Amino acid sequence: MRLFTLCLLAACARALHSYEVGVTDWHKPFAGVPLLLSESTSPVFHRSKHQDGQSSSMILSATQSNVLAAYHSVNGSLAWRHLFEDEDNILAFRKDKDVVAALSGPGGAYFRIFDSTAGHLLSETRLHDPTAGLLQEPGSLGIAVAFGSEEKEKDIFVLTNGHTLRRLSRRTGEVSWGWTAPDQTSSVIYSKILVTPSTVYLLGLTKSFASYTLHITSLSPETGELIDSGDIPSRITSGLSEPLVLSDVKQPETNPQIVWLEEGAIKAFPLTPGLKSKSSVVKGAVYKNIEDVGLSEYGQFVAIKDDGSGRVIKLTPEGLKVIWEFSDSATSPQRTGSIYSGGIDVDGFPYIARVFWMHTLKLASAHVFAAHLAEGKGLVTGFTFPFKTGEHGIITHVAVEAANPEPYRVLARLALTTSTGAVQMWQQDQLQWTREEGLADIPVAELVELPERKIASHSESDQETFGARVARQLLDAQDFPQYAVNFIRRFVTGSYASVSSSVAPPANTTEPLSRDAFGFRKVIVAATSHGKLYGIDSANGEILWSRVFGLGWAAQVGGHIIPAKMFVTRTVNDGDSPQVVLVTQRKANNGLVDTVLFHVDALTGDDARDKSQSVDVLQGEDIVSGPLVEAFLLRTASGRAVVCLDEFLQVNVYPNDDETMQALEKILPSVRIPLRTGPPGQRRLTGHQIPKTVEFTGKHIAYPTWSLPFPPSEDIRAIFVRPSDPVASFGKVLGNRTTLYKYLNPNLVGVVTGPPSTAPLSESSTCSIYLVDGAKGTVIYHAVLPSVAGACDVKAALVENWLVYHYYDNEVGVNHAKGYRVVSVELYEGYGVDDKRRSSEMSSLSNETTAVSVYEQAYIFPRGIRTLTPTSTSYGISVKDIIVANENNQIQSFPRRFLDPRRPKQKPTAEEAEEWLIQYDPVLPDDPKRVLSRNYQVAKTRRIITSPALLESTSLVFAYGLDLFFTRVAPSNTFDVLSESFNKAQLMITIAGLALAIAIVKPIVARKRLRERWYN
Amino acid sequence: MSTSMEVSKWRHLPPPPGFASAVTSSKASSKSVATATASYEELKTKRAWDLAFSPAKSLPMQAFMLYMSGGGVQIFSMGIVFMLLSSPFKNLASINTAFAPFAPASSSPKSLNTLPLQKIAYVICNLLTLALGLWKCRSMGLLPMGTGDWLAFETRGQPPEILLV
Repeated sequence: MRLFTLCLLAACARALHSYEVGVTDWHKPFAGVPLLLSESTSPVFHRSKHQDGQSSSMILSATQSNVLAAYHSVNGSLAWRHLFEDEDNILAFRKDKDVVAALSGPGGAYFRIFDSTAGHLLSETRLHDPTAGLLQEPGSLGIAVAFGSEEKEKDIFVLTNGHTLRRLSRRTGEVSWGWTAPDQTSSVIYSKILVTPSTVYLLGLTKSFASYTLHITSLSPETGELIDSGDIPSRITSGLSEPLVLSDVKQPETNPQIVWLEEGAIKAFPLTPGLKSKSSVVKGAVYKNIEDVGLSEYGQFVAIKDDGSGRVIKLTPEGLKVIWEFSDSATSPQRTGSIYSGGIDVDGFPYIARVFWMHTLKLASAHVFAAHLAEGKGLVTGFTFPFKTGEHGIITHVAVEAANPEPYRVLARLALTTSTGAVQMWQQDQLQWTREEGLADIPVAELVELPERKIASHSESDQETFGARVARQLLDAQDFPQYAVNFIRRFVTGSYASVSSSVAPPANTTEPLSRDAFGFRKVIVAATSHGKLYGIDSANGEILWSRVFGLGWAAQVGGHIIPAKMFVTRTVNDGDSPQVVLVTQRKANNGLVDTVLFHVDALTGDDARDKSQSVDVLQGEDIVSGPLVEAFLLRTASGRAVVCLDEFLQVNVYPNDDETMQALEKILPSVRIPLRTGPPGQRRLTGHQIPKTVEFTGKHIAYPTWSLPFPPSEDIRAIFVRPSDPVASFGKVLGNRTTLYKYLNPNLVGVVTGPPSTAPLSESSTCSIYLVDGAKGTVIYHAVLPSVAGACDVKAALVENWLVYHYYDNEVGVNHAKGYRVVSVELYEGYGVDDKRRSSEMSSLSNETTAVSVYEQAYIFPRGIRTLTPTSTSYGISVKDIIVANENNQIQSFPRRFLDPRRPKQKPTAEEAEEWLIQYDPVLPDDPKRVLSRNYQVAKTRRIITSPALLESTSLVFAYGLDLFFTRVAPSNTFDVLSESFNKAQLMITIAGLALAIAIVKPIVARKRLRERWYN
Repeated sequence: MSTSMEVSKWRHLPPPPGFASAVTSSKASSKSVATATASYEELKTKRAWDLAFSPAKSLPMQAFMLYMSGGGVQIFSMGIVFMLLSSPFKNLASINTAFAPFAPASSSPKSLNTLPLQKIAYVICNLLTLALGLWKCRSMGLLPMGTGDWLAFETRGQPPEILLV
């Protein structure tokens, strides 16, 4: 038996061949859109020196996907990234020479040190219990990281939770001392550190009536003893992170100062260990803002005057001095407001760049100011660069690095972050590279089939003269010799399209998009939450087209677009180029929410409504002036229509033409819609129907017909449905030739419930999984699952009559251990074999919908997963495997045979063996050969889409989350193509040899026969 | 045509050497001739019964062969099964020819009505062979007996309701 199982395993194990690596699959790693909330997480240049004296430049950034990443400045490739856990939010990072220090978790609970060039984690220290962390708003308040003032091997000073300062070793992360504010209940929250050789200053804010007062504490850097502490008379009303601490590493003898804005005036307070000084005021202008450009260690910052013009102010031994005012920087309708950013060059001199967009020239402009050049008078060099605002939105952040190759010449490199999530590198006016980091945040995506390549020649016009026709056909015939040679070569050698070859088009072709022989090439249409829609070639992951969403009327006030659902409304089978409709919610900055539809051609990204130019932003159609409840795709006689339900349950249809409406009228009475209704915490499933009559608004309004209240301790967490794939077989034939008919009720809906998030945590709270008839609310299947601390980490998939769900079981007992479980459930019609009920065409009013027999089995799963999806093939004949994104950042497939709920508990009988059932084994094998992602790290996968290819055996797998990963799987092996090792040449030679033999032997035989006749 | 040729073949065969019919007829009395004819007819009837039961006699051997050929669908077992299935039909198609040599002189040798009992027995025995073949087919799973064999031909219509989720 053991041997049999082993043989079986060997037979079905199909690892990737080495020649398929990188050919049939691709992986695009991302870091996520840079986190721009505070200066301490924004992109920053970092130049690390190698041992051979060379230095290389990188861009470091923390991202919205909770990743700390470094890009190579040269080519934009990802140098390294560190994935933080979801509950361990990255709050700040600082870099110094060869290390990057990062603080994360609530209140700065975790402190990590990374190697800046390779990203190795050097040390990790838990500074306090994450549950004891103070949650500040914004999260960067109350935490800070600073490096010491030593020449070499600077220690790291870390401020956490707003009142605890520690000094940690740079190498090991060991705490040498810690200091906690004695009075933690006081309203002082520290948020900045300044380290001088003699003193560590902590800058905090004390909440007082209607404003904040600055509070400073000075400590000894060696022992952490308190030197002094006190308030500075000040009133800060806006912006908690506004006060700056200025020092100057170039002139260490300069006294550091605190700078803040108070009623339009810049005030400064020199820091001395005893805190005995008086604040001074920078005179000369009224300011509305001061900006830390990351050069406070170099004593420079930018102050914005009340007319909008920017001034560079520098700390000098004599106090603060205005050293520059950017010309033409006042607020003007001709340009946008300026973004200021500071950077340094190789020699450590500071530069300040001002970047703005000129409406008149449609160009971006950058001015770079270097204070030390032109004999200390300051030098500004400017340039414009062709930033494509129609493609990347607007610039939201700038990081700058400068070089000064000769006097009076400054070369600047700008790392831009845009509102669509792109990170761009510009060297002066040359675009070096672009990373579409917005693709790390895809809420919805679809795979769209490509049309066939048009080979047959056709004339452009109907009326073509004879001469023109002959000329055209001669022109077409010029490729014939090549075609004939190709044909013969293909015929003889069998060099057909191979299933394990790349389907990517050769580089530099301008051919229109077309599918390959097996339909492996598709277009992935993906919408990001950063307002952009992408068309991605599934052959190699290249971006084919991209469109920026227009905001419609909300462009005046600003807003953002949240994609909700995506539907393929026209496929290549409908005869024309495929089209995609994206349903989104537009949240305008004035609080209004609208439902907007975008309708594009999936091959080109062109607006299918012809309302916007292909170079401009994509304009949508406001289908509902209000939030969306649910959107559906409805197949009608006239094609596919998108149905949107608004909050009054009015039915809005797109496209809204007469043909669609008439087709819709016919099927409206048979439409059943289960919706989640009720307030959060008591959500129930309510069934709706649509009446034939139209309300006075001219729209149908859906009305509730039934309601399925779950117990009060349960709230709906997720709803999942069966994919609309074809079902090849209506039953499962057993070894004795009887049939178990599959329960294929078309109205089956899966619901995961859990304790309401509003309810207090209790030990008894549980999660549940239901299968419900969505047309009448009957519960078909129900299982209660354990809940871990009020959370429901249940992942489920439903395909045909097969339900698979995965959960964490934390119950312990005799013969019971904690661990991940996967349960495989199959539903069959009736109560036994051959009990046919024809469930797939059954009316929901039939009594027989509840006549179900359930087969289920639980297995121990090797590890936690993020999502799971069954494979999908064009006719549903191939076995359906389960594709899983596991916690090890891998995509792995689990064969259906191991998950079969009918695996016998004893040695399989002859009949069971005939069904290829194998004996039940509680542990699912964790087969490394079934890791589809090989050695890639496919991080934070959110969803896996499977899509059929033209080959029945093959299913395309696309995983997205932080990274994009695409591959193809053949769950039943590629039974519909000749194997790679098939030797067609040999076959042809054999046939030719036989033909030759016949040709030679035939006359000989004829002669011999003739002779026999004569002599007989 | 060919059958008449066959009949004439054995009807008008020349007597073997030293077995002249004229001699016997001349020497034997008419009574002894009648006795000889009667015993000849009896012999033919007996031979006809032998032929009628011959398929049944080979059944044990065929059963043994089936047992030896195994339950798998292979070339040997398929050959035997094919033989078992086809031979009854072949035999029944040529039943009149097979019994023609044993037909009594009084009746026409090619008629279906001659030797009716023997022919019925022959048919039954051939049906036994066929049954054995079918039993083998069933045990090999080649007969569409279960619902599973007809599943691929089942169709389902569209459901009356459309669920939007």
